[in-house]
Amino acid sequence: MDPLVVGGLVALCTVVVLFSGVSVATGLLVVATGFLFVFDGARSLVALPELLYGELNSFALLSIPMFIIMGAAISSTRAGPDLYEALERWLTKVPGGLVVSNLGACALFAAMSGSSPATCAAIGKMGIPEMRKRGYPDEVAAGSIAAGGTLGILIPPSVTMIVYGIATETSIGRLFLAGVIPGLLLVSLFIAWAIYDTWRRGAAGVALSGINYTWAQRFEVLPRVLPFIAIIIGVLYALYGGIATPSETAAVGALLCIVVAMIIYRLYQPMALWAVLRDSTKESVMILFIIGAAGVFSFMLSSLFVTQSVASWIADLDVNRWVLMGTVNVFLLVAGFFLPPVAVILMSAPILLPIITSAGFDPIWFAVILTINMEIGLITPPVGLNLYVINGIAPDISLKKILVGSIPFVGCMVLAIVILCVFPGLATWLPDYLMGPAQ
Amino acid sequence: MRFIGHLSTISGIIASFMILASVLITCQMIFIRALLGKSTIWQTEAVIYLMIAATMIGLAYVQKLKGHVGVDLIPTMLGPRGRRVMAIFTLTVTALMMIMMLYYAYDMWHFAWKRGWKSETIWAVPLWIPYLALPLGFGLFLLQLAADLWVVIRGEDIGAPVAAEDRRH
Repeated sequence: MDPLVVGGLVALCTVVVLFSGVSVATGLLVVATGFLFVFDGARSLVALPELLYGELNSFALLSIPMFIIMGAAISSTRAGPDLYEALERWLTKVPGGLVVSNLGACALFAAMSGSSPATCAAIGKMGIPEMRKRGYPDEVAAGSIAAGGTLGILIPPSVTMIVYGIATETSIGRLFLAGVIPGLLLVSLFIAWAIYDTWRRGAAGVALSGINYTWAQRFEVLPRVLPFIAIIIGVLYALYGGIATPSETAAVGALLCIVVAMIIYRLYQPMALWAVLRDSTKESVMILFIIGAAGVFSFMLSSLFVTQSVASWIADLDVNRWVLMGTVNVFLLVAGFFLPPVAVILMSAPILLPIITSAGFDPIWFAVILTINMEIGLITPPVGLNLYVINGIAPDISLKKILVGSIPFVGCMVLAIVILCVFPGLATWLPDYLMGPAQ
Repeated sequence: MRFIGHLSTISGIIASFMILASVLITCQMIFIRALLGKSTIWQTEAVIYLMIAATMIGLAYVQKLKGHVGVDLIPTMLGPRGRRVMAIFTLTVTALMMIMMLYYAYDMWHFAWKRGWKSETIWAVPLWIPYLALPLGFGLFLLQLAADLWVVIRGEDIGAPVAAEDRRH
């Protein structure tokens, strides 16, 4: 059978199997096993566990559980609310200071935790009630935090970027740096929209005025936030100074974060520590199992020549590269509506990357585009995790209002994608500047 | 059923401590290499094996916590009856897949054991040790799946979707 037809069948079967509700990892294994059995015979199945094992047999993957522990340790403390409070006290003179400090806290917390729903929950628990109290419309309060939370997967260290780096064999250090400026761009767009929307809804007068804090109040919050920020800066420095590999840096960062959480936030009850460890184990096992299963899946794709023939088919079509990029974006967007970012990346990267690079796009730049697409999926139905997180922490704001509040932020993200397409340097300049041009 | 639940929890605890151990070993490795200037032999390999073992052995516990993410769009749209049928279907499919993985993983482990395969490094670990995690992990996972299936068939679990706050990615 023509590999292209096989590819179509694989795509169809994957969609059907995943929509049945089996877990992503099992779904990938089932589809891969089915196709290998039908096209290569039962003998090829002997290699299944070895493929899974081989995929996991990598030191680079260790950075995933390490960064997850780091994030979980930070998330279990009051660091989120503290960070928010610190920014709020320092930015009170800035117009719209509350929105700025909420979104700023989201960006900083995203940098520390690497997880979108965790960012949403940590900042939203304090930020949303405070914004509503000061007269911000519900839609702005809920929407800005839902959108701000999505930064978790773009601003480094990001588990999503690590997975992309491993799946496509691109430098994780570069990927992390590439997310910085687009992340700041998104934060600025979010802030601009939130302030404009507050003004548009006629709540500007009350909402945008600040409260005065004394300098003592401003300095009092710093000791609780600075250590974590220092760790993050240290981790990024170690990574870019070429001192250690991502996995090693992440291990030290994880240990330091646990120690800091124990000292500053007095997180030394065994149960609280166990909760951090349990949550990160659950998360890591889930992701690593998907990675293992995706390894089997992409082996199936290449051994049935699907990967290669799809790439050459697209190349033969000779479409305009921006039409191609547009199509890829739509595909990613739709996939992101239903699937978690890690799954989308693992399933699509082996097929998309050769297409993208042969069309002359930069794989580092593409990672940023892909991640912003995944961010959109986090605040759009049907599985927009962040929407439900907000719904959980502010149950009296209806899901509809949260959604209405979030849609303009989706617009901001689409705008960011367009800006990045026009100025790809926004993503590639920082890694090239700090790490030298890519080979 | 409760026995299987406890077994999964214990394997979850073991997996957690394996991950914690790999954090500590990695830090120790950096300490020896960067500060004492000595070379390290076994650490890199050991942490990889620990990570693989933690992943495999943790599968059952993650299943118990309903932590394996999937697209739960259709189950959430269905009524309680349909949801139950879907749950029975997906658990059965997962169990069948894991039976197959268990079979071939046992095969792989058995070969490594019988032929005395060793890893191609200075440390030369007998490969049956890291390979053992696969059949063990799939076996424990299978037990937990069977327990879950039993609970759904008995009608004690309505297959409610997992709360968003409990998910991170």
